[in-house]
Amino acid sequence: MFYRLSGVHHTRYSQTRQLWPIPADRWQIGILLVLALAAPLYMSQLYLSSYMLPWLIFSTATLSLTLLMGMAGQLHFGFAAVMAIGAYTSIHLTRFGVPLELALLCAGLMSAVIGCLFGAAALRVKGLYLVMATLAMQFLVDWVIVNVTAISGGAVATLQTPKVSFLFIPLESLAARYYLALAWTVLVTLLILNIKRTSLGRALVAVRDKDFAAAVIGVNIFRYKLLAFFVSSFLGGVTGAILAFCFYKAVTPSQFNFDVTIQLVAMALVGGLGSVIGGFLGAGFVLLVPIVLLNLIAWLAGTGWLSISTSMMAHIPLMLYGAMIIGFLLFEPLGLAKIYDNARKYLLVWPFRHTQS
Amino acid sequence: MKHTDLALRRRTVLGAAAAAGLGAALPVWAQGKDPIQFATLLDFTRVYTFLTDEYSQGQQDYIKLVNLEGGVDGHPIKLIIKDHASYPERGIAQYNEAKAAGAVFFDFLSSPVANALMPRADEDHLPMIAFAHGRADAADGQAFPYVFPSAAIYRSQAALLLKYIDEQEGGLKGKKIAFVHIDSAFGKEPIELLERVAKTKGFELKLYPYPVPGTEQAATWSEVRKNRPDKIIIWGAGPGQAVSIRGAVTNGISPKDIHSVLWLSESDMSAFKGNEVVGVKRVTLVNTGSDNPILKRIVEKVINPGNGSGDKKRVGWSGYNIGVASMAIAVEAATLALKNGGGPLTGEKLKAGFEMIKGYTADGLMPPLTITAQDHQGGGQGLISEWDGKRWAPKSDWGSAYQDVVWDLIKEDQAKAKEKK
Repeated sequence: MFYRLSGVHHTRYSQTRQLWPIPADRWQIGILLVLALAAPLYMSQLYLSSYMLPWLIFSTATLSLTLLMGMAGQLHFGFAAVMAIGAYTSIHLTRFGVPLELALLCAGLMSAVIGCLFGAAALRVKGLYLVMATLAMQFLVDWVIVNVTAISGGAVATLQTPKVSFLFIPLESLAARYYLALAWTVLVTLLILNIKRTSLGRALVAVRDKDFAAAVIGVNIFRYKLLAFFVSSFLGGVTGAILAFCFYKAVTPSQFNFDVTIQLVAMALVGGLGSVIGGFLGAGFVLLVPIVLLNLIAWLAGTGWLSISTSMMAHIPLMLYGAMIIGFLLFEPLGLAKIYDNARKYLLVWPFRHTQS
Repeated sequence: MKHTDLALRRRTVLGAAAAAGLGAALPVWAQGKDPIQFATLLDFTRVYTFLTDEYSQGQQDYIKLVNLEGGVDGHPIKLIIKDHASYPERGIAQYNEAKAAGAVFFDFLSSPVANALMPRADEDHLPMIAFAHGRADAADGQAFPYVFPSAAIYRSQAALLLKYIDEQEGGLKGKKIAFVHIDSAFGKEPIELLERVAKTKGFELKLYPYPVPGTEQAATWSEVRKNRPDKIIIWGAGPGQAVSIRGAVTNGISPKDIHSVLWLSESDMSAFKGNEVVGVKRVTLVNTGSDNPILKRIVEKVINPGNGSGDKKRVGWSGYNIGVASMAIAVEAATLALKNGGGPLTGEKLKAGFEMIKGYTADGLMPPLTITAQDHQGGGQGLISEWDGKRWAPKSDWGSAYQDVVWDLIKEDQAKAKEKK
């Protein structure tokens, strides 16, 4: 079918070790990249700003979380707080006059340092206990932001982002904001794809699968657990800043509360833990499906097929959405990414039925 | 075509139109004027649930009434109703969608969403109402030209309670007042005002925050009990309010000493048995009950023919009437805008219309509202009412309190925000 394996001969090790050895994967990625780059040309402002932009940014956040939860196996239920630290750091720095490029870097570092402090709990505990520790981080950071007026801005609880430019391009137009978010998404995606192939990635997987065994074969658990928290929190912090500058144009505590953490964890789980394409699929599912369902129900009501109260109309999409999540996870517990993977593997050997991969 | 068929067809057409929020606007369509689109993007499913149901029902019923009576200058009004569940990102998406569809007026009834969208509304020149929610400094029309709280902001409400205690309950001097509030931006908003007035009036203020979402307040109330305050002011919204009152009553505080922010509805109070909570006081910005010309017309023309948007028994409840009032203000602004600027209605014209509102009371439903280019709060008037076991009975006349302090604080907030820029 599309995935022609015949005629692909690797004569060098570097060829077999490339990210996408099969040509079909390569041209699919190419098409997606071209579509993403050209989005401002063919998408209306509405779709670009309300769907595409948040989808990209939340996918990036999910990827940052995937590095920690999927690859290193460290559960984190405070990731919105990590993003909040990044967002508040960057906004205060830019208001102070620091250029955005530097502010993003500092946002990442600030999140990484604070994330590591709480991540240190992972050196002692695992599983549910780690969930408790990171939950504590979420609520502590929330509380500090709300109660320290120097951070949140006091009773004026919304901080507007100042006018900034990135690499001499002013972040005024929607297209500029979109391209900054896209650049960051592509960067993080490539990073996560490649981390899997480095010694760091292999060490993280070893720690995930059995940290005790990993220690026996010589993986320095102390270092790699902290490193996982550091890198993931760094990415999360920058993503939080990007979210503030490219999408919300403002920062309030409620943009990063516990619900957002739950949303991020849901994105990672529904997409498929540890998978890169899962990050995109999961974020798309959690963000966009409720909106699509809502519009569908509203349209049905508008045509007169459904005669229900407004409040009922608001709740039906939620029920459908919940049913969909349960259905998907029953159908494929490993998430949306696994469904994609099954289809791809089927096509790899089509028209035969046995798979080898 | 048999008679029953006709009736059935008419009913489905009407049902469809009602579901689309058009009400029975059919006769008006015939005049061929374009509809004016108002977007009410609310939170039906997460934080304010039952309140939003009441509120939206009031809004829809009032708009149906307006359309039945010929619309605004012959234009029917179409409501775009969506649920954003208080998620800012969803609110932003729906705002963009409604903007693309041509909506000229917005209502979000959720502080996080409204705060995220205020700068955008200013950029896009589309007016939004923030009736009893959103950030305090939006009351200043110079700072946010397109945001209209159109009712007493939270600090003004706290001021009203203090004034009532001062004038009707034996004065503030030397009293111990406990301020029990939810630990969020909304709960903390009145603190600065209370502290200022405490200095000038000489009472002792004690703060007791309880954690979000407010369903767990036992520890807070035992603290309050230890300190034996003379008066209590409670500040929360949604499920936490009934918990606060329960906490106060079980700790032996007389309901007569409890004073609450606007968000304390009939449904909150009906959870209590008999007379145990008679005497609780609350700020009221919109009269309750259906003894009002507008509500009578709604009952007569919309509810009785069976075109109401929800449960009949809620007509006249607090949330329902606040919904009616919010739409009445918007329709009044649209009427003034079309009268003075002519059609088609744009965001700029509607903003001008809002700022022409002078002494509007919606036939006595609310205190006189006068919006100017500077003052988007509109005077900050309200009254104090008391729960008598069945309904909220007014205990004072419409009036405002300590507005000078309120505006001082707004100006200071802005100075602080400017420094940071």
